[in-house]
Amino acid sequence: MFQEIIAFAILGFAVAFLIRKFFWKSKKKKDCGNGTDCGCS
Amino acid sequence: MSVQNINVALIGNPNTGKTSVFNQLTGLNQQVGNYPGITVEKKMGFCKLPNNVKANILDLPGTYSLNASSMDESVVIELLLNKNDKLYPDVAVVVTDVENLKRNLLIYTQIKDLEIPTILVINMSDQMERKGISLDIPYLEEKLKTKIALVSSRKGLGINALKELIVSYKTLPNEPCLNASVIDPEYFEKLKHAFPNQLIYKLWLVITQDVNFSNLDRNEIRNTFTKSNSELKRLQQKETIKRYQFINDVLKEGLKVDASMAKDVRAKLDRVLTHKIWGYAIFFAILFLIFQSIFSWSAIPMDFIDSTFASLSSWAAEELPSGILTDLLSQGIIPGIGGVIIFIPQIAFLFLFISILEESGYMSRVVFLMDKIMRRFGLSGKSVVPLISGTACAIPAIMATRNIENWKERLITILVTPFTTCSARLPVYAIIISLVVPSQRVFGILNLQGLTLMFLYVLGFATAILSAYILNKVLKLQSKTYFVVEMPSYKLPLFKNVGINVVEKTKAFVVGAGKIILAISIILWFLASYGPGKEFNEAETIVKERFANTTLDEAQFENEVASQKLENSYIGLMGRAIEPAIEPLGYDWKIGIALISSFAAREVFVGTLATIYSVGDTENETTIKSKMQAEIHPETGEKVFNFATGISLLLFYAFAMQCASTLAITKKETNSWKWPAMQLVFMSGLAYFSALIAYQLLN
Repeated sequence: MFQEIIAFAILGFAVAFLIRKFFWKSKKKKDCGNGTDCGCS
Repeated sequence: MSVQNINVALIGNPNTGKTSVFNQLTGLNQQVGNYPGITVEKKMGFCKLPNNVKANILDLPGTYSLNASSMDESVVIELLLNKNDKLYPDVAVVVTDVENLKRNLLIYTQIKDLEIPTILVINMSDQMERKGISLDIPYLEEKLKTKIALVSSRKGLGINALKELIVSYKTLPNEPCLNASVIDPEYFEKLKHAFPNQLIYKLWLVITQDVNFSNLDRNEIRNTFTKSNSELKRLQQKETIKRYQFINDVLKEGLKVDASMAKDVRAKLDRVLTHKIWGYAIFFAILFLIFQSIFSWSAIPMDFIDSTFASLSSWAAEELPSGILTDLLSQGIIPGIGGVIIFIPQIAFLFLFISILEESGYMSRVVFLMDKIMRRFGLSGKSVVPLISGTACAIPAIMATRNIENWKERLITILVTPFTTCSARLPVYAIIISLVVPSQRVFGILNLQGLTLMFLYVLGFATAILSAYILNKVLKLQSKTYFVVEMPSYKLPLFKNVGINVVEKTKAFVVGAGKIILAISIILWFLASYGPGKEFNEAETIVKERFANTTLDEAQFENEVASQKLENSYIGLMGRAIEPAIEPLGYDWKIGIALISSFAAREVFVGTLATIYSVGDTENETTIKSKMQAEIHPETGEKVFNFATGISLLLFYAFAMQCASTLAITKKETNSWKWPAMQLVFMSGLAYFSALIAYQLLN
């Protein structure tokens, strides 16, 4: 049971991260110029 | 004592070593996201200075003057004219190259006239003796009304003196170099009268550039003080002439060049490196050496990383308490992280070589050399820089097109840049090549795998310029263009700059792409471990019924159950749904899953396969490569990753537009969905049909 709760919590984090990455439009960050993460390699 | 925060703007012509000064001041305290070679946008870092002062250092794009002709030059003017900008500089540091002082001083005089405290940095002081150059610093300081820091950013000389000058910026004289009224006394007198509280040179820049400042609207001023565009241009030229007259007068006394003492090898080297035959031969030889080295040198660390993660996976599976979390760790998370870390050596080597070529000054020769070829295909010599920096990532490369003045050339460069082999393709190429191309020597010295990798890079580049040729014919946009490129001196690459660049780019891959790969690996593991209906949930019963008349040992039985479950898992159903479309390309449903998951980011391909094969693995294969090597097609009984499938996959990934971020940046830069949609359709179509033809011919 404990393992299941942790595993599904990790899944939740992974899904939330990808939604934020690809579908959430950040107002603060304009583009690659001022950050380390371009959303690519 | 409280810390005093100040903003310092680094400004200067391209190739004056501005970024090297930035690196010397900030070390690794940087927030960057630029492509190699040129600063596209503002780059921030910080530096602790004496007297408890903390400086926010801003590295601005290289610009020749405050008369902007391209988007990245506008960035400088917009900042300098907007006092309300939180990054507005307390002090400007203008970086110049001792060999090109005359040209570099133009922008210095303009910034001085904005009455911003300005320090003049004369860089590359270590070259002075070799070039026979001597400077009268006190004289120059007096005439240019500033303090001068004579530095060598390569050798770290004069940096402490520069820091001292920055700290005492309040003592710098604020007098302008040129009285702006001399440009057109009558016109400027009227301006002064209408806006008595405004700086006259700022008003002039607002009138002549595409910017607004303070509460003044540019059009309002232009309408009040009507002058035609041609008249304004004429006055701008007059301003430039006046400034050069001033600079000439100053340098006549302040700068001496003794040609007899110069021991310059630059001209000799240029004759060879930009030669119409030898230039290209040397360039291709260098490329060839780079790709050979990437494969040969990174093999040992890659094997080590691969086996370490395989051992870690086995250890987790055996030692941790059994359950879903342990399975997720050993089959999803650890192989997922391994799929990122394994490519660090290759990416680091690639950027090591690119940084060395840039640092040495050779890259500018390549730009010059390629301009002749590029023009025939509707591109500019400046397109070479985005195309080469696209080997890192298409996103900053597309942003780098901002310094191409001509819109048609810029648009074509944006559209074709994603064909360049980016670092996200490298993991895919590396694993497929190692599976289907034998590791043998050609002519005794050439590694066949290295040659294949080089071929793929050349293929990406060739496709980019061929597509540019087609677009040049198709797009009905007319505009004239010219090409100017700076030829910096040859220098021995500076270890610190190369090191920072390699660390930055590798970190960007591991942190940026790594997080996506890991998240997708986790989701894939769940999708591969769960499924709907009884085909998945009653897999054991179904297998028992299927083999009721056959004797299976325990291992064979487990293998059949694992296959049944994977095939009927959520991901298995998705893969099988697209199987009819990808079967003619030589791919099975498992590869289909990797194609789907890598649509958003192509580097996910290897991690996806590592996760899928880990879930379905009953043969106890350990490393990613051995898992892929052992994969057998259930119907044909042949290896899944054979030569035909491998080549088909390589071509698919060479051409396919599998990067959501690139589509987004294309939309942003072109301000239209039309162009990214065209990119997606054209590149995906080309990928599908070339993979199809390759597989059908080779199979």
